[in-house]
Amino acid sequence: MTSEFIQYLESIRYRAKLGGPRENEVLSELETHIEDRLQELTDSGISEEEAIRTCLGQMGSPKLVARQIYEAYSQGSWKQVLLASMPHLLFGGLFALNWWQHIGWLSALLLLVLATTVYGWWHGKPTWVFSWLGYCLLPVLAVGLILLYLPRGWSFLAIPIYVPLALWWLFRVIIQTTRKDWLFSSLMLLPMPIFIGWFLAISPGAKLTETSLQRAYYFAPWIGLSFVTLAATIAAFIRVRQRWLRVGLLATSGLLTLTLVVYYAFGRLNTLTFLGLILVMWGVFLLPPLLERQLRNSRKVLPKPEAIPTSGCE
Amino acid sequence: MIPRRDLLKGSSNSLLLCLLEQQPMYGYQIVKELEVRSQGYFKFKEGTLYPALHRLEKSGLILGKWQMLPNGRQRRYYHITARGQDKLAMEKTQWQDFLAAIKLILQPEPASP
Repeated sequence: MTSEFIQYLESIRYRAKLGGPRENEVLSELETHIEDRLQELTDSGISEEEAIRTCLGQMGSPKLVARQIYEAYSQGSWKQVLLASMPHLLFGGLFALNWWQHIGWLSALLLLVLATTVYGWWHGKPTWVFSWLGYCLLPVLAVGLILLYLPRGWSFLAIPIYVPLALWWLFRVIIQTTRKDWLFSSLMLLPMPIFIGWFLAISPGAKLTETSLQRAYYFAPWIGLSFVTLAATIAAFIRVRQRWLRVGLLATSGLLTLTLVVYYAFGRLNTLTFLGLILVMWGVFLLPPLLERQLRNSRKVLPKPEAIPTSGCE
Repeated sequence: MIPRRDLLKGSSNSLLLCLLEQQPMYGYQIVKELEVRSQGYFKFKEGTLYPALHRLEKSGLILGKWQMLPNGRQRRYYHITARGQDKLAMEKTQWQDFLAAIKLILQPEPASP
């Protein structure tokens, strides 16, 4: 296989974002097709360079082929829709029913989130796992926040240890997710600006007080509504095939939910905070594709498509 | 004039199912067969055949299986499933009705005296 074809297949691999054995299967099929076509062209007497040029022309642009392959597999089932929107619905329900104050319900939910994420992560990282993974980042943030309330000496001791560790773990998770598809990183981080927005609405001084809890109780139905909006977005995200539509959905929904937060916060968030939150939201969308580009550029050797899987051979 | 590519887009599933109904084939074989049978009318970017085959496979209309050829090479042969045959039968009827209606308009029968 010449370098032109390796680049052609690598370009399809990068854009189709299938991953796993299916990716190898599709690339192996394309590779065998190219070999057959090339053989036929060279047998007809034309030069190798001419054969390569003709073959690539007949195959079609890698962008077009990759887009169609992506769309062939991107649509998830209704079961996946339910699984992916479940964490948002559960958190929405927790706030709408004002059960967030019960430590039992909260712990049970966080445990469920953790168990489901671990299960999904070790079982091929299906699309639905990334919306659960986003909620796993919450306890990490929450612990960091609690450390601020430790007695002064303990805070000074714990924060320098905890913050780098938490950031390292967060970065590792984002890198691993981005390796699969940067869009999943954005999907995973989507609730973060919403959480930050509501946190600032109930605790304008970034300090949790008795009044903050009263405000949280007051805002709970709207907090619930913002999670239900996220659930609806994720449901549409799973069912939509086109990548550009998925990107548009996440961006629109993020912006819409943030506006909802500011609107229902009844003036507790000023324009500057709103703009800051929008900046965080854009960071959530722009950081993963930039990171993906960086990761791609750091891959010095273009790997050859792996061998055809033998499990399906007769 | 409707581009030939658009005509093919609307009928690609029926054409693929129709070819696979006769015998299991692999991608390159399908391209060649389609070209020969349509006398060169149906030509398309060959890489786009695979997304179409994988869409059909995901819908359960065809099934792909790797097979070893006598020359030691491996090819993924696509077989039509029972569901695919039902779908094809339905689409064939639709196409026949459509073609009959088109024919009635393009070549109207002369009015009887």
